[in-house]
Amino acid sequence: MRVEISYKFIVGFLVVVVSGVIVNLVVPYLQIPPEFQQFFSVACALVVGLIIGAVFSRAFTANIRRLTSVGDQISQGNLSETIQLKEGRFPDETSDLAKSMNHIQESLRALVGDIRGIAFKVAGSAQNLSSTSQEVSASAQEVAHTVNQINRGAETQAEMVEKSKRIFNDVARSINQVATAASKVAESAHQTVDTAWSGSELAGASLDSIRQVLVEAQSSSQQMFNFIGQLQRISKFVEVINGVAQKTNLLALNATIEAARAGEYGRGFTVVAEEIRKLADSTTISANEITTLVEGIRTEGHLVQSSMGQVIEEMEIGREAVDRTNHAFSQITQNAEVTRSKATNIAELTAQQISSAEQITRAIDEIDKVVSDNAAATEQVSATTQKQSASMEELAMSAQNLSTMSESMLQIVKRFKLVKEE
Amino acid sequence: MTLTLLFTLGEEIYGLEISAIQEIVEDPPLYYVPRAEGALVGAINFHSQVLAVIDLSALLGLPGEKRDHRRVVLTPQFKSLVLTVGSIHRIVNLDLSELQPTPSSTGGKAVRGVANQDETPINLLDTNEVIDLLRNQST
Repeated sequence: MRVEISYKFIVGFLVVVVSGVIVNLVVPYLQIPPEFQQFFSVACALVVGLIIGAVFSRAFTANIRRLTSVGDQISQGNLSETIQLKEGRFPDETSDLAKSMNHIQESLRALVGDIRGIAFKVAGSAQNLSSTSQEVSASAQEVAHTVNQINRGAETQAEMVEKSKRIFNDVARSINQVATAASKVAESAHQTVDTAWSGSELAGASLDSIRQVLVEAQSSSQQMFNFIGQLQRISKFVEVINGVAQKTNLLALNATIEAARAGEYGRGFTVVAEEIRKLADSTTISANEITTLVEGIRTEGHLVQSSMGQVIEEMEIGREAVDRTNHAFSQITQNAEVTRSKATNIAELTAQQISSAEQITRAIDEIDKVVSDNAAATEQVSATTQKQSASMEELAMSAQNLSTMSESMLQIVKRFKLVKEE
Repeated sequence: MTLTLLFTLGEEIYGLEISAIQEIVEDPPLYYVPRAEGALVGAINFHSQVLAVIDLSALLGLPGEKRDHRRVVLTPQFKSLVLTVGSIHRIVNLDLSELQPTPSSTGGKAVRGVANQDETPINLLDTNEVIDLLRNQST
C-alpha cells in the first residue's frame, strides 16, 4: 500500500501525540510522584517522537542517499547501476523517483548506445567518405590528366583541321585549275574539231584538185604520146625528104657526069646540076636539122612523158597521202570529239567536285567550330574537374574532420559505462 | 679545070675525074661471088650487065670501116669496075695542071699526084694503076 511521505509524517505526528496522551493517561496509575509525572510524560513523548523520527528519517535518508549516489554515478557517466530500493511495506515518492531515474538511466543507456553506434557508423562512413573522396580526388586528377590530354588532342585536332582546311583549300584550288584546264581543253578540242573539219574539207578540195590535175596530167600524157607519134610521122616524112634529097643529089652527080660527057653542050646543064646538088645538099642539111630537132623534141617528149609519168605516180602517191590525210583528219575529228566530250565531262565532274569541295569546306568549318567548342568544353571540364578536385579535397578534409569529430564523440561517449564492470 | 668527084678513103680525100665515071648507083643489091678474094666483094646488076664490085680501101690497104651506100661505076674504058669508097662527097672543078708529087711518107698506091682544093690535099686516083693492082692481085 502506497503512502505518501506527508501522510507518513502526519501519522508519525499523530502517533507522538497519541503516545503523549496515552502516557498522560497512564502516568497517574504509575506510582510516580506527581511532580515527576509531567516530566515523565514529556520525556515519554520525546522518546516516542525521537524513535519514530529516527525510524522515519532513517528510512527517508537511506532511499535518498541511494538515489543521490546513483545520481552521482549517472553524472559521472556510470549508467550501469540500477537503483534497487528496499521494498518497504509502504512505498512512497522515493520509489517513484527511483523508477523515474531508472527510466532516465535506461533512456540514457539507449541514447548513449545509439550515439556510440552512430558515432561508430559515422566514423566508418567518414573513413569510407575519406577514402572515397581520395579515390574521387585521384579519379578527378586522372580526369584532369585525361582532360589535359583531351585538350592537347583537341589542339592537335584543331591544328589538323586547320591543316586539312589549308590542304583542302589547295585541293579546291587544284580542282578549280583542273576545271579551267578542262574547259580550255574542251575549247581547244572544239577548235581542233573545227580545224580538223576545215582541214578535212581542204583535203577533200585538194583531193578533187589532184584528181582533176591527175586527169589533166593523164590527158597531157596521152597528148604527149600522140605528139610523139606525130613526131615519128614527121621523122618518116623527113626520111622521105632525105631520101628524095639523096636521090636528087645522086641525080645531080650523075647529071653532072652526063653533062661532062656531053662536053661543051652539057656545060649549062652542069651548072643546073650543081644548083640541084646544092639544093639537095641544103635539103639534106635541113632534113638532118629537122631530124636532129625532131630527135631532140622526141627525147624531150620522152623526158616529158617520163616526167609526166613520174608526176602522175607522185600525184597518185600525193592523192593517197591526201586520202590518208583526209582519213587522219576524220580520225582527228573523232578523237577531238571524244576529247571534247571527255573534257566536258571532266568540266562537269569538276563542277560537281567544286560543289562537293565547298560542302567539304563547310563541313570542315563546322568540324573546326565543333573542335573549338570541344576545346572550350574541355577547358570548362578542366576547370570543373579542378574545382571538383578542390571540392574533393575539401570533402576529404571534411571527412577527416568528421572522422576526428566522430572519434572525439566516441571518446566522449566512452565515459558512459553501460554495463557493470565485474 | 677538070670536074672531079671527091670521096673519102680511110682518112684521106681522094679525087676521081668524072670522065672515068659511067654512073653513080645507089645501093644496088650485091651478089655474092663464089671464090672471090681480096678486094672483090661481089657483083651487081647494072643495066643487065654483071659488074664486079671492088672495095677500094681494101685494095689500097687503107684503114676505115665506113662505106658509102652509093657505088661508083667506071666507064667501060676502065673495065666497068664498080668501086666502093668510104663516102662520096661531091663533084668539084679541080686544076689538075699543077699536081704535087705524092709525098713519099704516105707511100700511097694508085695516086697520080696531090691537088689542092681550099687548102685540102686531094689524092688524085690513078685508075690504071688500080686495074694493074687488081690484075697483079688476081695473078
